[in-house]
Amino acid sequence: MTFAGRDALEVDALRTDRYLESLLAAHERRAADAPADPDLDPSVRDAATRLGRDLVRLHPSFRFEERLAARLAQVAASMRLPAAAGAEGVTIGLLPPALPDADVDPARDPDDVDLEVQAGLQAIPRPILIGGALTSAALSIAGAAWVAWRRSRPPQTRLD
Amino acid sequence: MARPVLRRVGAAEEPRPRVAHLDRDRRLVEAAQRDPARFEALYRRYLAQVYSYAYYELGNHHDAEDATERTFLSALTNLHRFEERAQPADGEGASTFRVWLFRIARNAVANQRRAERRHPTAPLEAAPLIADPLDVEGRVQARDEAAAAWRAVGRLPGDRRRALVLRFVDEMSTAEIAGVLGRSEGAVRVLIHRALRAVARQLREEGS
Repeated sequence: MTFAGRDALEVDALRTDRYLESLLAAHERRAADAPADPDLDPSVRDAATRLGRDLVRLHPSFRFEERLAARLAQVAASMRLPAAAGAEGVTIGLLPPALPDADVDPARDPDDVDLEVQAGLQAIPRPILIGGALTSAALSIAGAAWVAWRRSRPPQTRLD
Repeated sequence: MARPVLRRVGAAEEPRPRVAHLDRDRRLVEAAQRDPARFEALYRRYLAQVYSYAYYELGNHHDAEDATERTFLSALTNLHRFEERAQPADGEGASTFRVWLFRIARNAVANQRRAERRHPTAPLEAAPLIADPLDVEGRVQARDEAAAAWRAVGRLPGDRRRALVLRFVDEMSTAEIAGVLGRSEGAVRVLIHRALRAVARQLREEGS
C-alpha cells in the first residue's frame, strides 16, 4: 500500500471511529441514529448502525450468576483466612485443580506464555492451613491425656 | 463515574499539571484488594460484559459460562497484581481494571478454544432467543436480520471480530480495545473500519 493509500485508510478509519463514538452515545440517549460525516462510506455507516442494533449485550442466567457469586465468596473467604487465628501455619498444596495459577499473570498475552504454564490456569492446588491445625490437635490430645490421668488417680481424701 | 484529579504528567515537557481521570473502578478495586469479599461489586458490574464477550467468541452458553467463571476466579486470585494505569488519553469513564479483566477473559476464551479445538463459525444459537421475547410476526424479520449480522461478524478473522464485539457489545473506547488486544489505537481504528467494510460486503452478498 502506498503512503497516500495508507493515509486515506487512516483518515477513513478516523471518520468511522468518530461516527461510532456518536452512534454509541446516541444509544445511551436511546436515539436511533447519530449524525455522520458526509464523507463517511455509506456502507460502513449502514453496517455500524445495523451492528449497533443487533449486537446486543447478553446476561447469563440468574442461576449461573448466583452460583458463581457464591463460589467467588468462598474463594474470597479462603483468601482472608491467613489473617485469622492459626495463620502462623504453613500452607501446602492439596486438591483440587480448580483455581487459576497464581504464578502466571492471567492478563498476559497467551502467545507470550508457555503453553504448559498456561495449562496451569486450570490446575492450581488449593492452599490449606496446616500448622495451626496441628497445634490445635496436639493441644486436644494433651488435654485428653491429662483428663485420663486424673481419672486413673484415686480420689484424695482429706486428713483432717 | 471517573473522578478528575490533578496529576503532574511529564513535568519536563509540561510545566503545568494536567487533569487526568482516575480509573472509574479505582475505589472498588482498592476495597477488593484490602478485602477480597468486596470483589463482588466488581463481579456484578462486569458479569454481563465478560459473559457477552465470551459468548460471542465461543458461540454457546455452556462454554461462555466456563470462560466467564475462569475469568472472574482468576481476576479475584490475582487482584493483587493489578496496577491502575489510567491516562488522560483513555478518556472519561475509562477503566484500566476493565482492560485488565478483558485481557484475562481473552486468555480464558483462547484456552477454552484450545481445549475444545473449535471455532465459532456456526450461527450463534441465541439469536432466536434475543429477538423473540413475545413472538409476533413483525419480529421474525428482525430476528433474521440479527442472525445475519451475527453470522457476518462470526466470519471475521479473530481480532477484527473481537474488536467489533468489544466496541458494540461492551461499548469500549478505542483506547480500551487497544489495551485488551495489545495494539495501538490507530491499528484498532483501522481494524474496526476494515471489519465494518467486510460486514457490509457480507450483508450485501446475503441480500439482507
